[in-house]
Amino acid sequence: MKDTTVARRTTAAVWTLGVTAVLTGLPLVVRDRLPDRLATHWGLDGDVPNGSMPLWAASLVPALIWLVTSAVVTAPLMRAGPTAGPSWSTVTLLPTGIVLAGAQAAVVRANLDRADWHEARQPASWVVAILTAAVLAGAVGWLLVTRRRGASGGGTTSAGDAAALDIPEGRRLVWFSRTVNPWLQLLAAVTGLAAVAALVARVGGLAESGSLWALFAGCAAASLLSVLFSSVQARVSERGLEVSFGPFGWPGRRWAPGDIDTARAEYRRPAEVGGWGYRISGLGTTVMLRAGECLVVRPRGRRTDFAVSVDDAERGAALLNSLRGGRPRR
Amino acid sequence: MLLSLDKTDTRPLHEQVAGAVRRAIAEGECAPGDRLPSARDLSEALDINVNTVLRALRELRDEGLLEFRRGRGVTVAEGARPHSELQIRVQGLVAEAARLGYSRTDLIDIIRGLP
Repeated sequence: MKDTTVARRTTAAVWTLGVTAVLTGLPLVVRDRLPDRLATHWGLDGDVPNGSMPLWAASLVPALIWLVTSAVVTAPLMRAGPTAGPSWSTVTLLPTGIVLAGAQAAVVRANLDRADWHEARQPASWVVAILTAAVLAGAVGWLLVTRRRGASGGGTTSAGDAAALDIPEGRRLVWFSRTVNPWLQLLAAVTGLAAVAALVARVGGLAESGSLWALFAGCAAASLLSVLFSSVQARVSERGLEVSFGPFGWPGRRWAPGDIDTARAEYRRPAEVGGWGYRISGLGTTVMLRAGECLVVRPRGRRTDFAVSVDDAERGAALLNSLRGGRPRR
Repeated sequence: MLLSLDKTDTRPLHEQVAGAVRRAIAEGECAPGDRLPSARDLSEALDINVNTVLRALRELRDEGLLEFRRGRGVTVAEGARPHSELQIRVQGLVAEAARLGYSRTDLIDIIRGLP
């Protein structure tokens, strides 16, 4: 285990530094053939650039963005032991690096041999090519990660750490757990208020309508999403595992006991799964409301896990395992 | 929190549910201020009619173990734990007395007669 961690850290470091070198170096290498300011942003309709940066900024800003992303993504890898297994950083870093490096190359290419940044033209085919490459890289990273996890995780997740709870004869046990994230509730309230304010301003005709509609739609969607994922309930009963979101208990997911291969408790942090809320990463799907104990299940016939951050997950997993074991397998 | 019901118990269901929640509180499964799962959640998980569950929850509220708050659902009341322990012991006492042939009134008389 240990040697792969070192190898992964080295790979991440080499990739980070390499991309940084490309991002900063590319404009500097050909600076004699570039205008003083570089066109760095183009409108959706295409031809005329609408944003520019001095050469030094065009060289440093993408590199800074990249370094920050890379630091956030690899922090768990560098800090935690091998068990944390944040192999999903591949899925993030590979496409992000490709997008940034590709964008930088496109910017340099567009500005090359132009006297003024207004003359720079963004070739649309570049954008398509970069995005395609990024999606491909993400897919390849995903495959690598899931295959690696499938190979290494197969043995460890089976019976070893899957404890079962003793259910006394003739007893019916049910387990409930609930997690609330007050910050997400606050975020929901604030964005909700902003949405209402935008709507009122629009109705009152205080400002031009286009941007207000956009603001309203953005804030309303953000508010709805944060309220849905600000709390989560998990319950284990003879019906299986039921996980439901938000104050209305909707949407929700359910697995019958027979549909679950194994259940276990695991310590996870938001940084490992890509943030808060409903997250899909190399670790599978995680409903992450806070760092700490998560109930993790492997649905039957799947190669990825479903996890939900709830307290007392160990007993929930144990009860689920014994419910699963006590029933005749179909 | 973990709730446990005895499938062979012959008492009325609402008493069984109330007993399960009382025991959960006594064992510290849920602390004062904790929110209980909704009556609908409880009824689905335990496979018991929701009105039966509601009846059990109301009994516990009348005992002072639970609080019903609008918008916050059902929460465990302050100081519910020693309270529920006492309740469980009193119920055990009543059951034991009945087994020995004492009615509740007899029991009350005995308690009154205590120095």
